[in-house]
Parts: sequence; C-alpha cells; structure tokens
Amino acid sequence: METIFQLIAIIAITVGTFFSIVGVLGMVRLPDVYARLHATGKVGVFGVVLLLVAAVVWTPLGWARALLLIALLMVAGPVVAHALSSAAYRIGIPMKRPVRNDLEQK
Amino acid sequence: MKDVLQIVLYSSLFIHLLLTAVAVWRVWRGENVVDRLVGVELVTTLVLAMLVLVSLIEQDSIYIDVALALAALGFIGTIALAKYVADEKLF
Repeated sequence: METIFQLIAIIAITVGTFFSIVGVLGMVRLPDVYARLHATGKVGVFGVVLLLVAAVVWTPLGWARALLLIALLMVAGPVVAHALSSAAYRIGIPMKRPVRNDLEQK
Repeated sequence: MKDVLQIVLYSSLFIHLLLTAVAVWRVWRGENVVDRLVGVELVTTLVLAMLVLVSLIEQDSIYIDVALALAALGFIGTIALAKYVADEKLF
C-alpha cells in the first residue's frame, strides 16, 4: 500500500512540475499581457493542484487541508485571471495580433 | 522507492526555485503595470508550489496551512491591485 502511494506521489509531482515549467515558459515567451495571463493560469491551477494531489496521498494528517487548498485554487485561479485581463483591457493595453475583439463590436 | 521520491522532491523544488528566479526577472522587465502584476501573481503561485513541496519533504502538514494562508491573501491582494489599476481608486 505504501509503494502505491509513493508511486502516485512521484507521478503527480513530475507532471505538476512539467506544467509549472510550461506555464513559466509561456509567461516569458508569449507576446502580450492577455496571452501571458493564459499561461500563468496553467501554473496556478495545474501545477500546484497536482503537487497537492501528491500532498493528499503522502503527507500524514494533511489530506483535508490539501483538499481545501485544491478547492480554493480551483476557484481563485480563473477569477484572478479574469480580473487582471479586464483591468488590462480597461486601461487600454493593446493586443498584439488580435484575431477577434468581441468587446469592440458592441 | 522512497529514495526515488526524495530525488523527485528535491529536483522539483530546485526547478521551482529556478522558475521563481525567471518569474522575478520577468516582473523586473515587465513593459506595463499589468505585466508586473501578472508576474507577481506567478511568483506567488510558485512560492505556493514550493511550500507544498517543503511540506512533502518534511512530512509535516503545517506547511499546507501556510500555503493556504498565502493563497488566500495573494488572491485578495491581486484582486485589489487589479481593481486599483483599472479604476484609479480602490473604494
């Protein structure tokens, strides 16, 4: 039983770290603020939540708090991304190569 | 199997440290204010990930409480800053 938990923890940590790397890479490489918000959302939700899945499985007596943190991150991630992108749009930060701008056609 | 887990934990912690350095450099170089805000949010999330990793390494679940507090406060702080940036006033 012990090795199964360790195996789950190892897989969750490696995949979570992979998502963190992809998120930060996207944060550095993408052209404008809106695309960067798209990248940082991944780190916050996928990276940390998978690490918390490992924490649920492996840390003693910590599984309830880890589930609570998973729920908080699942709610907080998109809300922060929406708040930042609406703030960016409202102060007029231009989009590089916009395909479609729904807000303008109003 | 246990030492494989230790190796994975410490390498993941080191990778997250490098990612935090990249994110801090990104905040320093950000073109506009929302860029820097996004960078700060990313740094908060990476520190959160490192806290969870430390709680896995130390086998002590007190660090998850610290991560919980950081997540809640970071979330509220970023929302308040975004509102201040958008409306030039907070209340």
